[in-house]
Amino acid sequence: MQIRSGRTAAAATLDALDTGIIDMLRVNGRATNQEIAEKLSVTAATVSSRLRRLEEVGASRVVAVTDFSAHGLNVLIAVGVKVSGREVQDVARDLARLPEVLSANIMNGAHDIELLVALHDFSEINLFLLDHVAGIAGVDHLAPGIAADIIKFEFNVAPLR
Amino acid sequence: MNGYQLDDLDRRIIEKLGHDARVSNRQIAAELKVTEGTIRSRIKRLQVEGLIQFTVVTDFRVAGSPNLVMLGIHADPSRVAALARQIAEIPEINCVIVLLGRYSLLAMGLFTSIEQLNAMIFTRIRALEGVRDVETSISVHNVKYEVGLARITGPKSVGKD
Repeated sequence: MQIRSGRTAAAATLDALDTGIIDMLRVNGRATNQEIAEKLSVTAATVSSRLRRLEEVGASRVVAVTDFSAHGLNVLIAVGVKVSGREVQDVARDLARLPEVLSANIMNGAHDIELLVALHDFSEINLFLLDHVAGIAGVDHLAPGIAADIIKFEFNVAPLR
Repeated sequence: MNGYQLDDLDRRIIEKLGHDARVSNRQIAAELKVTEGTIRSRIKRLQVEGLIQFTVVTDFRVAGSPNLVMLGIHADPSRVAALARQIAEIPEINCVIVLLGRYSLLAMGLFTSIEQLNAMIFTRIRALEGVRDVETSISVHNVKYEVGLARITGPKSVGKD
């Protein structure tokens, strides 16, 4: 059974050259168009136009991923939120506006919304949860967990459009 | 977390790369009024220190519109560290966090099929020694996702310049 169906993009069919370029960039996202072109025996202009097209159709994009610590963010918390008396969608949208929130998902499970939140230090947890989050209408219950260690964090699929 | 202290130039380079990961060293150098060699060595150092990496992100829809699944795992405390490593080795799992409070471990993955998810939980996770309970919840809607922030844990792959 498919969890979700009928939304696979048809516009972005990738050919062998596209996947060749993507594979090279996966290894080195800063490879120049010239370097990629030489490896794949095409011109730099072709690489450039292919990359532009991939980005325009929203199929894939090279991103710079920075570590939390590069921004002084030393605390990661995972917060389950239960909602009452208000549309979950509206509460999630309000929560997503908080700059500390890295991700917000509406869930089918024990909690209505799951947040991943990055903070500078422990002293910010109180203010964030009990002031910013608890202050949003419809937030009924919070289940926070503090990350003691992050073993793996590799998402290479994301909403790009 | 990390011994390397970022200075103002590092932060400005990170900001430029956050907007466009493919911007050339020459262009960054011109905008920040330093030499191209300085930009090249700064980026290299950030990569070696595990503070930045460049990767290709594929759009959800192109990847078949998978759903984010969160697994809250309760485990024997003496087995948590070993379980975190074992679960991180499962290719379908994108993220493993040792958590304090809600669960022993929080694992996340992207799935397109309920059967595939169920099979993985039963054969690859519940079967592990020390796992007591797995609470599964499925994201039905992603409201926010910051693609450029993560914990960089992988091997330090630094392309040639």
